[in-house]
Amino acid sequence: MDLVGIATGQILSSFSVFLFLTILLLAVARRISTAVLLFSLQSAVITAEVLATAFQEQLPEAYVVGVLVFVIKVVTIPRAFFLLADKLKTVRDVKASTTPTQSVFIAAAIIYLSYAAVHSYGQSMHVPDDALAAAVSLILTGAFLMVSRKKALMQMLGLLVLENGIFLAALITTFGMPLVIEIGVFFDILIGLLLMGIFTFRISDTFDHLDVSKLRRLRG
Amino acid sequence: MKITVDILQVLLLILGAPLVRGIIARMKARMQRRQGASVWRPYAELAKLFRKEDLVPPTSSAVFRLAPMLLFGATVCVAAFVPVVHASALLASGGDFFLLVYLLALGRFFLSLGALDGGSAFGGMGASREALVSSLAEAPFLLGLVAVAILASRADLAGIVAWTLQQSIFNISAVHVLAFASLAMVALAETGRMPVDNPTTHLELTMIHEGMVLEYSGPRLALIEWASAIKLHAMLALLIGLFVPWGMASGDSAWGIALALLLYCVKAGILMVLLSVIESAVAKMRMYLVPEFLGVASAVSALAVIFTMLAKR
Amino acid sequence: MQMGLMGASLFFLLSVLGVCVPLILIASHTKSARKLAISLILTASLAGCAAAVLGFLRQSPPLLDLSRITPFPFLLVIDRLSAFFLLLVCAVAVPVTIFAVPYFDLHYSEPRRNWTWAFFSLFLLSMIVVVTAATGFAFLAGWELMTLVSAALILIEGDSEERRHNVFIYLLMMHAGAAAVAACFFLFLPYSHGLDFEAIRTASATIPGPIRTAVFLSAFVGFGTKAGLIPLHLWLPRAHPIAPSPVSALMSGIMLKTAVYGFVRFAFDFLGGGPWWSGYAVLLVAAITGLLGILYAIAEHDLKRLLAYSSVENIGIVFLGLGTSLIFLANQAPLGAALALVAALLHAFNHALFKSLLFLGAGAISNATDSVDLNELGGLQRRMPFTGAAMLVGCCSIAGMPLFSGFVSEWLTFRGLLAGSSLIGTKAQIILPLMVGILALIGGLAAACFVKTFGVAFLGRPRSAGAEHAREVPLGMRVGLLLLGACCICIGILPGLLLRPLVSLAQVLIPGAGVPEETLSIARIIPWIAAIVLGTGALAALLKRRERLARTWACGLPELSSRMQYTSTVFSKPIRFVFARAYRPDRTVETLPADQPYFPVSISYRSVRTTSYERVLYRPFVEWVVSLAHRLRRLQTGNIQIYLLYIFLALVSLLTFLRFQN
Repeated sequence: MDLVGIATGQILSSFSVFLFLTILLLAVARRISTAVLLFSLQSAVITAEVLATAFQEQLPEAYVVGVLVFVIKVVTIPRAFFLLADKLKTVRDVKASTTPTQSVFIAAAIIYLSYAAVHSYGQSMHVPDDALAAAVSLILTGAFLMVSRKKALMQMLGLLVLENGIFLAALITTFGMPLVIEIGVFFDILIGLLLMGIFTFRISDTFDHLDVSKLRRLRG
Repeated sequence: MKITVDILQVLLLILGAPLVRGIIARMKARMQRRQGASVWRPYAELAKLFRKEDLVPPTSSAVFRLAPMLLFGATVCVAAFVPVVHASALLASGGDFFLLVYLLALGRFFLSLGALDGGSAFGGMGASREALVSSLAEAPFLLGLVAVAILASRADLAGIVAWTLQQSIFNISAVHVLAFASLAMVALAETGRMPVDNPTTHLELTMIHEGMVLEYSGPRLALIEWASAIKLHAMLALLIGLFVPWGMASGDSAWGIALALLLYCVKAGILMVLLSVIESAVAKMRMYLVPEFLGVASAVSALAVIFTMLAKR
Repeated sequence: MQMGLMGASLFFLLSVLGVCVPLILIASHTKSARKLAISLILTASLAGCAAAVLGFLRQSPPLLDLSRITPFPFLLVIDRLSAFFLLLVCAVAVPVTIFAVPYFDLHYSEPRRNWTWAFFSLFLLSMIVVVTAATGFAFLAGWELMTLVSAALILIEGDSEERRHNVFIYLLMMHAGAAAVAACFFLFLPYSHGLDFEAIRTASATIPGPIRTAVFLSAFVGFGTKAGLIPLHLWLPRAHPIAPSPVSALMSGIMLKTAVYGFVRFAFDFLGGGPWWSGYAVLLVAAITGLLGILYAIAEHDLKRLLAYSSVENIGIVFLGLGTSLIFLANQAPLGAALALVAALLHAFNHALFKSLLFLGAGAISNATDSVDLNELGGLQRRMPFTGAAMLVGCCSIAGMPLFSGFVSEWLTFRGLLAGSSLIGTKAQIILPLMVGILALIGGLAAACFVKTFGVAFLGRPRSAGAEHAREVPLGMRVGLLLLGACCICIGILPGLLLRPLVSLAQVLIPGAGVPEETLSIARIIPWIAAIVLGTGALAALLKRRERLARTWACGLPELSSRMQYTSTVFSKPIRFVFARAYRPDRTVETLPADQPYFPVSISYRSVRTTSYERVLYRPFVEWVVSLAHRLRRLQTGNIQIYLLYIFLALVSLLTFLRFQN
């Protein structure tokens, strides 16, 4: 029992390190499959965090949330991505508009900015700085991915990373989210993704490519 | 007694270097489903080269003749900096990591001059590419070491290793993870391994380090090859000593040192497996993608330094 | 006229250099007169070295007061800071003079030779006056004399249109800087009685904050122009390459350091550290200077312009140390401030030594091969072994390689930056360690640049007939080169010789500083490292066998030609490609077509790097000044009544001013 206690304590104090690593790796990732794998790794870390919080705060419903996160974000959604990528027969490259060096410097700046921003809030809310900064960094990284990657699949992935960040922020500040709200958020995202998937399929069908920057030609 | 162990450490790093190379080559061969040569082959190769005669281009000068000796001397000096079995080395208490990095640069300076002295285009090409890679690799190398040194509040390697030994093994600090990532990338660039440079290529247009030594033969070539193996071994030992030193002997007892040696072999083995996997799995990068690679390493090491501010608030 | 024994020797120095030598040279054109003059110069320089050492060791600084015979107060004092820089001036002057004897013999004929030596001694005089001056008048007089005499020395070399244009830009920028320096002094006038340094020191405690800031800014701009900080460096690559090599050595080696001396005197001695942001400003400018300087140097294939840009880079490193020291001072950390100041001053001294060595080597090369274009040299090490050995020492020192002098000062700068991490709670805690990365990049690029320089010039095959027929230079030149090389190696292996006096100097300038541990530890460990490296190298050399000459592998061709080697331009291409944003070359490709479309007669490619400072900064400024002048011309109407109206208006405004004052 004590071992589990140590493990959860360890997870809670150092999981943010792994999240920062995934952020940096997402910034340099050059293939869609790598990015999706990193996203599922990220979600796995968040699952561990949820389960550890559930153990520490003794909240049974948080276990359910954890299992849900695992099933949906670590298994189902990446699977769906791979299936979609296969069906669309799209080129594997991520089509980034910034070089890897620039992306990593921007990711580093994002991490520094999140730390600077949450410093005062962390004190007042009695939460560890690292975890909150990791959440804010995830949100900003998701936005950065959506802005700088020109493939439609990467825009979807950016939105998912953003949602990861929001979820983590909510988890940390409420010490375990009420299940109802969580399910609501999940369904929101799920429907949004479904719609995006359908649209992506149609775009690729009609235009034979998924480069979002070329959609500009549609204006009058 | 401490001095004896320090000297034995240096000898281990120097004499064990060809074995490290042999093990990595054998692992790569097995991963690529080949038989692979024996792990002791580099020793045989060095012995063979020392017996051969020295061929020298007629247009070369004293710089060509002396460069391998200086490279070897500088690399042996670097090996005297790195703690292996206990938290000290011959020069680790007086010297710091800036000296280590610049001694490596000294060796490389003279090797590049020797390459240009051959008067061929391949030497110039190797030297020019090496100049690009090394000038960009110095910043992340030093920044990664600086991040670790700031945490330890010491600059000498013995002090840093002693400080790390006192930290708990389960306390994963972001600074150390980032510094390790950037130093690993720099180590690949400095020792000329994939994906920066292919050490087993025979196509001159793809060579960086090998291109610089094309004109050397006999004992001089043996010295250069040995120096490059010592550099690889020293970088491995440095990474182990800075980031996972637990198990190093704290006292003078022979059993403690034997145990530390065994643990070092295990850790080095793990790193060698990782290196073999990376070398077998990735392709060599295009020349002008190497600055991107090193740029990523610089950003990661700069982030590590920024994180030290958060740790030391 | 007040003087003790020391003062008398100073007077001897000045009169020899300033009066006797030029008179001898102008009066008579015989060889013996010239020999007398040169030996007087050498004696004076050696006496200067002795005076510097004695001035450092004595408690009360020696002084020389010539106020009775000069219109304004003229006082020379050798306190610790002046003694250090006086040693720098004279220690470099000795080998340069020895080198210059055969160089000027071969390079010039009568009467230019005599005029050159006359101005040479005046140049040394002006620099000695600048570093030992203790009144504003003496300082400014020496400052102006330096500029004018060096311009004269450049013009003696030749008088072409391009040369005159370059000298014009040089004089213009130097005078702009001198105006800023003069402003520094005159800003003290309302608060101090007179402009001697003692009065300024006591007055600086009472001057208000804004005046302090103004003094610091004008000192930074004025001395920065003279030192060559970007973007005020434009004159450096124009003026240094066109001067004769010994003069270039003096200009790059010593004259830039007088600017460092002036800045240290104002920022540390008079002001005791600037406003809280001063260190960061200096640090930022220094980092940009260092990085852009070495990037421009790498792209050059003219050896002297490469060395000029490399001087810009090294001045950047010196000011990096000075900025770090100012940051420590502003945060009340005297130990770190002392460490960084020692690093900066030591780098200034080292740079004086190895940059003079390199410029003298360039002079030797131009003497032997009539060219300083790296793409036309090659194979000189076999033909000029002594020059090559000395240049190798110089290149290793400037690249910051251990066991040579440049390494110690760069190491101390690194340790100073690392020590910034102890200033917990300030911005410096992060900025200073991050600057380690920038300095590492600068150092790496410098090593690459000088591998290229030495490798292309001295190694491999000769690329032109001039290089092929090169022969070793005369004895005087060799002695000068070897003297400087020996100094570089000496400081590289035994840095304690200079570090101990520098630490005591820093303790004078920064009150409350102890002895930084780093200065002791490096002095302890470097000899051991030298022993291990050289010992192991020697042991390894024993293992070598009989040598046999065998031709370089030529891929099956009968023989390699010198055109198949890497040239300087090609060597630097990868680095220029990566840092392409810093260079914006104008590229022109001209093709001379022939009858058949795919076989033109010739295709020529020309790439000229234009520094964008002129386009972006200077040209708009110049145009604005000219348009302002045009508009002011309307005041000059030529009408007498309008002029009378001006006088009337002046009277009226004076009366109004008086009325509102009461």
